[in-house]
Amino acid sequence: MKANPPRGALRMLSWFCPNHLYEEIEGDLIQQFSRDLKKFSEVRSRRRFYWNMIRFFRPGILLRNKPTTRLNSLDMFTNYLKVAFRVMLRNKGYSFINLFSLALGITAFAFLFLWIQNEFTYDQFHADKDRIYKAWNRVNANGKINSWDVTARVLAPTLKEEYTDVESAISYTAWGEQHLFVRGDKRIVKTTGAYADSAFLTMFSFPLVKGDARTAFKNPQSIVITEKFARELFGDQEAFGETVYIGEGGDGLSLTVTGVLKDLPANTDFHFEYMIPYSLVEKFNGKETYWGNNSVYTYVKLKPGTDISNFNAQVKDIIKIHTKDTSVHEVFLYPLTKMRLYSKFENGVPSGGRIEIIRLLGVLGVCLLMIACINFINLSTARAQRRAKEVAVRKVTGAFRNSLVIQFLCESILLAFGAGILSLAAVYLGLPFFSRLVNEHLTLEFSNINFWIGGLSLILIVGLLAGSYPALYLSAFRPVKILKGISLSRTGKSWLRATLVVIQFGIAISLMVSVFVVQRQINYVQNRDTGYDKENLVYQYFTGTLRKNYESYKNELLQLGAAESITKTSTPITNRWSNTDGIKWEGKDPNDKTLFERIYEDSHFATTVGLTVIRGRDMDLEKFPTDSTAAVLNEAAVKAMGFTDPIGQVIKDNGTEWHVIGVVKDFILTSPFNKVEPVILFGCKQSWPFSVAHIKLNSANSTQENIQIMADLAKKYNPDYPFEYEFVDVSYARKFANLETTRTITVLASFLTIIIAGLGLLGLSTYLVEIRVKEIGIRKVMGASVFSITNMLTWASVKPILIAVLFFGPQAWFAMNWWLSSYPYRISIGIFTIPLAALSVIGLAILITSIQTIRAAKANPVNSLRNE
Amino acid sequence: MAKEFLGEFEEIILTLVAGLQEDAYGAAIAEEIETRLKREVNLSAVHVTLYRLEDKGLIKSKFGGGTNERGGRKKRIFTITNSGLAMLKAMKEARIDLWKLVPQLQIA
Repeated sequence: MKANPPRGALRMLSWFCPNHLYEEIEGDLIQQFSRDLKKFSEVRSRRRFYWNMIRFFRPGILLRNKPTTRLNSLDMFTNYLKVAFRVMLRNKGYSFINLFSLALGITAFAFLFLWIQNEFTYDQFHADKDRIYKAWNRVNANGKINSWDVTARVLAPTLKEEYTDVESAISYTAWGEQHLFVRGDKRIVKTTGAYADSAFLTMFSFPLVKGDARTAFKNPQSIVITEKFARELFGDQEAFGETVYIGEGGDGLSLTVTGVLKDLPANTDFHFEYMIPYSLVEKFNGKETYWGNNSVYTYVKLKPGTDISNFNAQVKDIIKIHTKDTSVHEVFLYPLTKMRLYSKFENGVPSGGRIEIIRLLGVLGVCLLMIACINFINLSTARAQRRAKEVAVRKVTGAFRNSLVIQFLCESILLAFGAGILSLAAVYLGLPFFSRLVNEHLTLEFSNINFWIGGLSLILIVGLLAGSYPALYLSAFRPVKILKGISLSRTGKSWLRATLVVIQFGIAISLMVSVFVVQRQINYVQNRDTGYDKENLVYQYFTGTLRKNYESYKNELLQLGAAESITKTSTPITNRWSNTDGIKWEGKDPNDKTLFERIYEDSHFATTVGLTVIRGRDMDLEKFPTDSTAAVLNEAAVKAMGFTDPIGQVIKDNGTEWHVIGVVKDFILTSPFNKVEPVILFGCKQSWPFSVAHIKLNSANSTQENIQIMADLAKKYNPDYPFEYEFVDVSYARKFANLETTRTITVLASFLTIIIAGLGLLGLSTYLVEIRVKEIGIRKVMGASVFSITNMLTWASVKPILIAVLFFGPQAWFAMNWWLSSYPYRISIGIFTIPLAALSVIGLAILITSIQTIRAAKANPVNSLRNE
Repeated sequence: MAKEFLGEFEEIILTLVAGLQEDAYGAAIAEEIETRLKREVNLSAVHVTLYRLEDKGLIKSKFGGGTNERGGRKKRIFTITNSGLAMLKAMKEARIDLWKLVPQLQIA
């Protein structure tokens, strides 16, 4: 009986053995096998067969595989490139449209990608980031759970003492207080300070250039500063170990620099230039053990291996245990790594946050890239006829479909590569502007290998995305039909092209709608009545001796005629300072937890800032000395308290009784996008809250004259500190900064979309006109008017855009309603926004196409019909 | 052009190709080596050497018929070329020249 050689071995041999050698090698192996069979058992012969086969897997055989084929395909590649270049050069207009729109798309995508990537790196560089948590409070108020991350000072030490799973816990604050630093004759005022417990430096990975993180805050009278600040303060001298004086005269104190921090990276949510230990604050003010006062951030580092959900269950009732009060809030820990992007809580559970914006930006980037790819797809399939003969000849001379697909992919990747280089230059040049626009520190890391890998793969993906459909489409042509002269259906797969155009313009219209809505919302809110008069209104913080000399400063300003009226208050009118749900009045529902904003004033606040008094009167300390315990309410406060006749009512706050003497019209204290909060203006019974002077400049003088007088007086009454002031309208305008960034980005994005889509439309309409040149000629000979021809051609181009309006208009409407819903004070979109946006896009489209169509319609038919 | 040299195994193969004539193909050569020289040799080594000699132009090849024993697969029959023969002769003469240098063996 004759055994067969193992088939598997032969198959394996065929994988690596060169074709021209395969048969004889196979034959020799089989021959050896049959001779082996005579000598050995079948099993052993088979094993020997396998072994002999495997021994053929050696360079002497393997290398005989490639040389011929490798050389061949390299030749073909150079041919592909040559043809690609020629095709591009022959159609300069189309190549430009393709290249330019791809470059725009890639640039926009790259910008957005850099931004998004940067967002994900925030505070991710800490070595123990997975063990660091921020403590949050959570309270059930009026049936809804509110969460916030400002906690009691006593929380951190308590956690450290009572929970064995806690490795370290710290309080951290950066209130933005002003500090005067004195070093020799150098005086620098800074507001970029932070207070923290000593474990801060070991908990986070902010490396010290000088000093020891473990011992830097051992002594309360120490300070850690960044390198930048050290240079500012000490120049080229060594800062470490030196002393610096904070404050002025006898009120200040000397601190020793016990550490120099490397400048904080841009991608952290901690911002400070110097840090002072909490032990110093406690040395003066004593330890704070009151659980009701939430004023600091608390960070906790757990021991490795601690289960966070278990720990949260343990720590939940920490406040209840310590205050023996059941109604107070609960504590929970939330990971540091999620603080930047996922720190919005709705009803006690995480519900997104900044990540929502980031996702939108990602979608925007992909859309822009897609629009650019669509241009390429549309133009290449529309112009397929031009390449049809080339495809047919290549096929006839023996090209496989695969090699044609590779050829067309090569072309699109080459184009994407060119576009990539253009956009690299654009990104490099535009990055500083973009960084400033989005207020982030973005960089291109040329030395990072990932940057190049990412860039190249982006180009490759774009090339494949744009090129794969045209490649499959073009390579499928049947040479017989084409060479016989049967033409492809004239417009090719026009339904696909139409769909893609619909998508392009759908995105364009959506963005246009968003531009309109954002713009209208900004206008609407900017024109909102603030309730006070921003003109000629300045505020000035009490720095140095200004607080002490306030009365003389005020009198002299009035005397010299620089100011019409001056009031000292607890806070600038553009800022919230303090609020409470603990106000008591007659007839208050004990469950009412309405928050009231507090402002303290001495006198004439309504006059100074221009509030309208609608009932009662403004405070006037000279005429009515009892006004030190007076209160003025705004309308919202009156409504919240339910007074029908507020004048003469008595309200209680912090154990003091205040009598209501007046009501002012609602005014915007915090955000112009929100409803007006209830505000109470209190008199000046206590002196500690006052830190700001509001000054109404005399409109009879020029602003410069007034400011000059202020500056002179400030020098006289507050010589140590630099003269600083701010106009209320400037400060108010800052409230729109975020929205203005949104506006700039939507405007830019829609501008780009429309340029790219417009370029595509231009290319497409040029081509459609080109192939219908004879038809137009015949129509004209038969008596068609220029208008009717233009009309016909334009309509063909605009139809998909109309469909886009129908499909995408409603979506845009819903999307913008969702966006607006985050602003309590908002416009309603109305029915005209979408038609308006659609009209502007359609108008643009008609403008673009008509350039081509009118020219074609006007052309002399003789020229187009002369030769066949 | 620098003179080509052959390795020992190459020389054996070349000699066998010259000797076996119409029966010089991979498996046969391997078997000859095993039976005559009592030397274990792997088929793949023989093949690789044959292809290398062909690349050097010392032998040439053509397809021969298949036998039942080898499942009907064709053989590649190698024949020595003139330059191969010249090379073989030159090597043999060089050996003999060298051999003459060795003092003749004394029969003890």
